Amino acid sequence: MTPAVRRPAAGQAPSAGPPAAPRARTGRAIAIAVAVLIAALVTGILAGPAGLSLPTVTAALAVRLPWHPALSVPAVDTAIVWQIRLPRVVLGALVGAMLAGGGAAYQGVFRNPLADPYLLGVAAGGGLGATIVIIAGASPALLPPAAFLGAAAAVAITYVLGAGRRSGPGAGLVLSNTSASIVLAGVAVAALLTAVQTYLQQEHSQTLQAVYSWILGGLSQATWSDDALILPYVAVAGAVLLAHRRLLDVLRVGETEASSLGLDIPRLRLTVVLAATLGTAAAVSVSGLIGFVGIIVPHTVRLTVGPGYRALLPVSMIGGAAFLVLADVVARTAQAPAEVPIGVITALAGAPFFLFVLRSRRARQDLA
Amino acid sequence: MIVFDRVSVRYTAAPALAGVSERVPAGEWLGIIGPNGAGKTTLLRSAAGLVAHEGTIAIDGRPTGQLRRRALAQLVAYVPQLPELPPEMTASEYVLLGRTPHIGYLRMETRADREICAGLLDRMTLAPMAGRPLGTLSGGELQRVVLARALAQQAPVLLLDEPTSALDLGRRVAALELVDELRRELALTVLSVVHDLTLAGQFADRLLLLDGGRVAAAGPPASVLREEVLAGHFGPGLHVLRTAGGELVVTARRKWPASPVVRPPAPGR
Amino acid sequence: MRAVPGRLAVAMAGLALATTAAGCGSTQASNTSAPGPAPSAAFPVRIAAANGTLRVATRPTAIVSLSPTATEMLYAIGAGNQVKAVDSLSDYPPQAPRSKLSAYQPNVEAIVAEQPDLVVESGDTGQLTKRLAAFSIPVLELPAPANLAGEYAEFSQLGRATGHLAQAQREASRVRGQLHQIAAAAPLHTKPLTYYYELDQTYYSVTSATFVGQLLRLLGMKSIAGRAPGAARSGGYPQLSAEYVVKANPDYIILADTICCHQDAATVASRPGWSGLAAVKAGHVIALNDDIASRWGPRVTGLLRTVEAGVAKGSS
Repeated sequence: MTPAVRRPAAGQAPSAGPPAAPRARTGRAIAIAVAVLIAALVTGILAGPAGLSLPTVTAALAVRLPWHPALSVPAVDTAIVWQIRLPRVVLGALVGAMLAGGGAAYQGVFRNPLADPYLLGVAAGGGLGATIVIIAGASPALLPPAAFLGAAAAVAITYVLGAGRRSGPGAGLVLSNTSASIVLAGVAVAALLTAVQTYLQQEHSQTLQAVYSWILGGLSQATWSDDALILPYVAVAGAVLLAHRRLLDVLRVGETEASSLGLDIPRLRLTVVLAATLGTAAAVSVSGLIGFVGIIVPHTVRLTVGPGYRALLPVSMIGGAAFLVLADVVARTAQAPAEVPIGVITALAGAPFFLFVLRSRRARQDLA
Repeated sequence: MIVFDRVSVRYTAAPALAGVSERVPAGEWLGIIGPNGAGKTTLLRSAAGLVAHEGTIAIDGRPTGQLRRRALAQLVAYVPQLPELPPEMTASEYVLLGRTPHIGYLRMETRADREICAGLLDRMTLAPMAGRPLGTLSGGELQRVVLARALAQQAPVLLLDEPTSALDLGRRVAALELVDELRRELALTVLSVVHDLTLAGQFADRLLLLDGGRVAAAGPPASVLREEVLAGHFGPGLHVLRTAGGELVVTARRKWPASPVVRPPAPGR
Repeated sequence: MRAVPGRLAVAMAGLALATTAAGCGSTQASNTSAPGPAPSAAFPVRIAAANGTLRVATRPTAIVSLSPTATEMLYAIGAGNQVKAVDSLSDYPPQAPRSKLSAYQPNVEAIVAEQPDLVVESGDTGQLTKRLAAFSIPVLELPAPANLAGEYAEFSQLGRATGHLAQAQREASRVRGQLHQIAAAAPLHTKPLTYYYELDQTYYSVTSATFVGQLLRLLGMKSIAGRAPGAARSGGYPQLSAEYVVKANPDYIILADTICCHQDAATVASRPGWSGLAAVKAGHVIALNDDIASRWGPRVTGLLRTVEAGVAKGSS
């Protein structure tokens, strides 16, 4: 009988596997993601119907910096770069990071691979808020707050419905499947709000085009004030989500075992939902409903860096930023100067890429 | 030490546990036995705070109902019957999860945490597999990894729910020997659910026989593993033998004695 | 020295004087007839428009039009050679410099790249006015007017913005005169003729209170859509149903979806239950060109003429 225990000799250091390796891998993945993001940002600044050349763009960027050399750039070109392209690219990065990070966090906290940041009704609530403003003919400046409030309210309703206390025979189970209940409540709330919104749209069909173009989403009206508006929300939400990535990893062994390891699951869920909702609602309020980012990016990243949230969350955020910036470039150059709705691009580009990564990974696994 | 005071658990109309009371002195290994549905797993889960219950469970004088999750996890380590093993998680990452109750809410693992886990992996001869994903480990290795995670919690109470169900007899004994050695070394209180009555009797200090959510018998193996006691709960087919070395073996008493194989009739007759 | 022959001197002086007078006179003539440089007193000008008050500093020479109607108006008032680019849907007049710019989804960068000094739009989508203000580009919004007076006012606004006010006012008068002329030529009826005006295949129609409705009212015609359920709420563009139209049995059917939805007298007759309509049986189906019907520029006269011709044919 093989003894299962071997005590190390006195004074000998434990020879277990190197704990530093996973951290180095994460660092490498983040570095690669940042490089991709930088390339995407540069592409975003260079692309546009005005046909500005690389030297022009570089000069336009340099001219506004405090230590610039004497350069002559047409004021129009500088304005195009700084007032149109840069805010748009920055907004794309912020929204993309938030959607991808929110999606990854939801997939972790609900342990559901189909979770995306709109899971609990953010999209339906935001769309309804925007529809009401457009129908009422109110000032377009009210669109972002209305969408934000609608999105937040929808999630609040979902959470109350899904996570409400239960009594009765099932109450004996402290860990009843609240996660599933919340998800189901989210589906119901989203369906209800979407139905209300569709009804309102039909009743006021002359605003159909305005509503639809908001819902399809886009970064075409990005201004620096939009960026300033959502930056605090995205920054705080992103920081909170990143701070919880270790706990999301603990949750990978299931709610029961994670509870036995000391994790306060309802509190974790509430925190993650709150942070992701605030950030996503802010993103939705200025960019409409851009789909696919929250599902495609985390899954694609997962196929390359693995399912551990320590790496998945930060790399998803960076990757989501890069993805949306590039999708926006395609959206505004494919049929310039007309713009393809960005949701179409994310779907068209994201799905096949994801399939490609999936197949190449599966092929490697079959050979292993 | 653990004190169960009239613990009752009700999932549906019929109670899963009905007024179980028991004292488990510190450092004791209590084997929980009983027929299916007796409430054995429920008892462990209630001790781990995973099931709402009436009555109190106190560990070292502190009622578990008043403890926060984190504090309870520092007292009680629970190993479920079918632990969820994310196939892509490496063994060292998995064992590191056991340090969760000791890591601050938003903090990361410290060097000390990693060293504790590394030491445990070493101890269980898992050092070569530390960096490998769980999906590539064998059943025996997984059993040891799960145990390592529970031990990483450094909790004085260890709850084991059928920890050896997937192992062959040799590995089964080896695992139980390991638990025994560690509990003596670390002064752990162990509550285990083991279906194999013989092994239960060999390793536990005391046995608790549950049936229908109630305590049917409690005491040292010699007093519980008796045919008249077991017959009332497991049926009449059990046979308890005492070996020359004084160990109790519970075996089945077959209906028919062993007999030569009956030859089938030749064709045509 | 002998003096220049007195009569020759007088003749030369007279010639010089006459030439000078003629030269002055011809300059004045060119000022009023040809679209040359306007007197500098016309600019800078402030214009109150639907999107606020805009200030045009100098006479614009690089106008970008994002409204097909505004494009037609610009050329009609003589500002055609000041137009730099028009949107992709501005197909009239044919010589307008059509580009790929979108009227409904304006791309700020593409517009700015044209370096316009005036942008004309029919709706302020995407807060274009505010965004172009950041580039000091004035935007004039000329939305679909509620009535004919609104159309005439838009001519004036455009005239002031481009330095062609007199011409614009003349054009507006011409349109008004022609409309009344057409209306006067229309045959009288004891009872107003009713019509069903079809915007698309899902029975969206117009009431008599809309711009088109008021145009047709000049001919004494009345829309059946006014009494439809939901007409009050719809802002003048209610969605009718096939049953409602059949029940109202209008005298005339006017189709404004001949291009988008390929509707004509034959397709209307083939709709279930429609072959029994009086208008269908008598052939009183008037087909309009979608584009002309959806614009409120100088070609409204053509629209009214088409309808009047159809009515005149139907009354004969």
